[in-house]
Amino acid sequence: MLLALRRWLGLSASRAGAGVVEDAILDRKAQKWVIEPARVGLIARAEELWRYRRILWFFASRRIKERYEDKTLGKFWLFFQPLAPIFISTMIFGSMLQVPSDGVPYFLFFLAGMSCWRIFERGVIRVTRSLDQNRALIKKVYFPRLIAPISSVAPSLSEFGVLFTLLVLTCIYYFVKDGVFYLRVGPQLLVGVLAVVLAAFLSISVGLWTTVMQTRHKDVQFSIRYFMQLWHYVTPVIFPLSELLKLLPPQLHFIAYLNPMSPVVEMYKWGVLGIGHVSAVSVITGLAMMLAIFSGGVVYFNRSEAASVDRL
Amino acid sequence: MDNLVAEGLGKCYILSRDSEGKSARSFWRRLRSPLGDSESTSKTRDFWALRDVSFRVEPGTILGVIGPNGAGKTTLLKVLARVITPTTGRVVGVGRVVSLLELGAGFDPDLPAHDNILMNAAILGIPRAEAQRRIKDILEFAEVEQFVGSPLRHYSSGMYLRLAFSVAIHMNPQILLADEILAVGDQAFQERCLAKVAELGQQGLTVLFVSHDMDAIMRICNRVMWLHQGAVRRLGDPEEVVDEYQNAIWSQADIAQSERGRRSNRLAEILNVRLMSSGGRDIGGAPISEDVYIKTRFRTVKANMTVKCALDLSTKGQLIFRTADTEARPLPEAGVYEALAKIPRDLLAELPYIATVSCIFKREGEAKEYPLVVYNALQFLVYGTETPDSLPGSGRLDRVGFIAPRLEWTVRQEAYAAGA
Repeated sequence: MLLALRRWLGLSASRAGAGVVEDAILDRKAQKWVIEPARVGLIARAEELWRYRRILWFFASRRIKERYEDKTLGKFWLFFQPLAPIFISTMIFGSMLQVPSDGVPYFLFFLAGMSCWRIFERGVIRVTRSLDQNRALIKKVYFPRLIAPISSVAPSLSEFGVLFTLLVLTCIYYFVKDGVFYLRVGPQLLVGVLAVVLAAFLSISVGLWTTVMQTRHKDVQFSIRYFMQLWHYVTPVIFPLSELLKLLPPQLHFIAYLNPMSPVVEMYKWGVLGIGHVSAVSVITGLAMMLAIFSGGVVYFNRSEAASVDRL
Repeated sequence: MDNLVAEGLGKCYILSRDSEGKSARSFWRRLRSPLGDSESTSKTRDFWALRDVSFRVEPGTILGVIGPNGAGKTTLLKVLARVITPTTGRVVGVGRVVSLLELGAGFDPDLPAHDNILMNAAILGIPRAEAQRRIKDILEFAEVEQFVGSPLRHYSSGMYLRLAFSVAIHMNPQILLADEILAVGDQAFQERCLAKVAELGQQGLTVLFVSHDMDAIMRICNRVMWLHQGAVRRLGDPEEVVDEYQNAIWSQADIAQSERGRRSNRLAEILNVRLMSSGGRDIGGAPISEDVYIKTRFRTVKANMTVKCALDLSTKGQLIFRTADTEARPLPEAGVYEALAKIPRDLLAELPYIATVSCIFKREGEAKEYPLVVYNALQFLVYGTETPDSLPGSGRLDRVGFIAPRLEWTVRQEAYAAGA
């Protein structure tokens, strides 16, 4: 902690302008370091992550930029990529199947569920690839490896931004058309924000497991897509939770309850549109599941870090 | 006070028979017996890439690390750079470590130079403002100012390396890990690298310098560590260690089996062909302004023989010249001999050359000849040490031709004109 603090002080002081002198001081107080085979403890890891937080931003912006840089259509992709599947799915599920939608227009219902779900879905897929993707750097220089998975969710959040903008525009459209403003403006919106954070958090938690497995079995990056599709159907995105429970045979109901994404999506819809079923039980179960997946993931990642790098 | 201490460092890789247990069959086997019945699952083999490596280095030491391929040089540097975790032992160090592993530092090939510099600075904990200030110096030293905006994957390997080196030395390291920085490209820049490393060493920078170029090692290192099969074989004074290393290497015949030609017959065997500096060192490249020797080592098994050696020099697929010894030299007794062909300075151009070596052996009093030939026995690069400003067109790229001999020029006024 002291180290981090000293770094932080040194860093902010040099921002004030006395660059060269500051740098000499930084160098003079060069820290002693030790390399040992023993695994670094989790607290030390967290401190280290904090010291390296600047690269987290660097990696995150990198991951977003690479989505449109060098592409002929440029930033168009930033908008098109998240929007295309939404329109296609709405056509299928909304117009053709006549799925119930908790009393709001289906497009809005679906858009709300999807924008939250996609943070998670795309996040897991990206985090899974993260160690492989940063191989060139990981094999040449040292930085806390956790930075690679954590920063990989950034594009999912940028996609969410696009979808949320669309959500707001749709609400305005319905306000003009029907005179009802579906978007909730008020403190409840904070629950929506919390749901977004939880979705990103859960995608990192799951990704910590899959990215390590990916270094061992390259098959993971394919299978994860199908796995996420399955997960998608047991999460109340296309149907409301009530419909989902009707569809699932009773002996499979536990899936709907144990699925930590299900309360997250419901929280989001409740916070943003005021629909959905948020019960204390489901939220607590969901949070407990999340914490279990996360802490297990961190321990697993930390334990297999060295071996994973050897295998890259 | 030492600023880098390694104690009993070891790195073990576990190699398993069926390619790291990746195949589906071994996967299922492991699933079925998760506790691992050792009979079927652990057909593994330990491989120690490093074993019990210990050394202490004081600030200002330039420690050369030498050894044949696979001796663990790169593994050692990767452990010190914290890229891989050691299996045994520990390292204690003081100060910022900057590493140049293999080709270049940790660069993202899709990013332009500017972003890569900032990212490297961030990884090393250098404030952004400070890094911004140094960008100009870095680009200038690397001579890549025109290409700041293009992603690194468009860079030539030489440009990439120059940038990597420049970034590394501008990050104020206390410890620099340099792996084969001389392996790629542009000799003039390599000269500058060596000079810079030597200069920084005098200012107290600790350098671990891995190279196969014994000349470079001798020039800048003040200590040398010889690694052999992962362990330290010798550690000490450069002169002694390098000499011993070269003797050890040269004592084995090491011209690869795959090379064409006939390199042994019933009278003799060609052991190896090397490029040697006039100081007797094994070198990888020839400075234009120095005499170098092509040394052919061969072993004879009979007494009272003679040998006549010849040499073909080619570049870019063109034979430049063939030259042979003027007379047959006597080999009075069986043993190991070396034939030296001196290549005078200021003869070859700044190009890579390939030498083909042949020797014709004869027994005294017999007419029958026993020829040996090794095609492409030696490849070497000739490099300039001065800036080439005296040539037509003046730029390096304008140089053409397969050789660049320095001729004697005189300019004088013609006698009758002077009289008129």
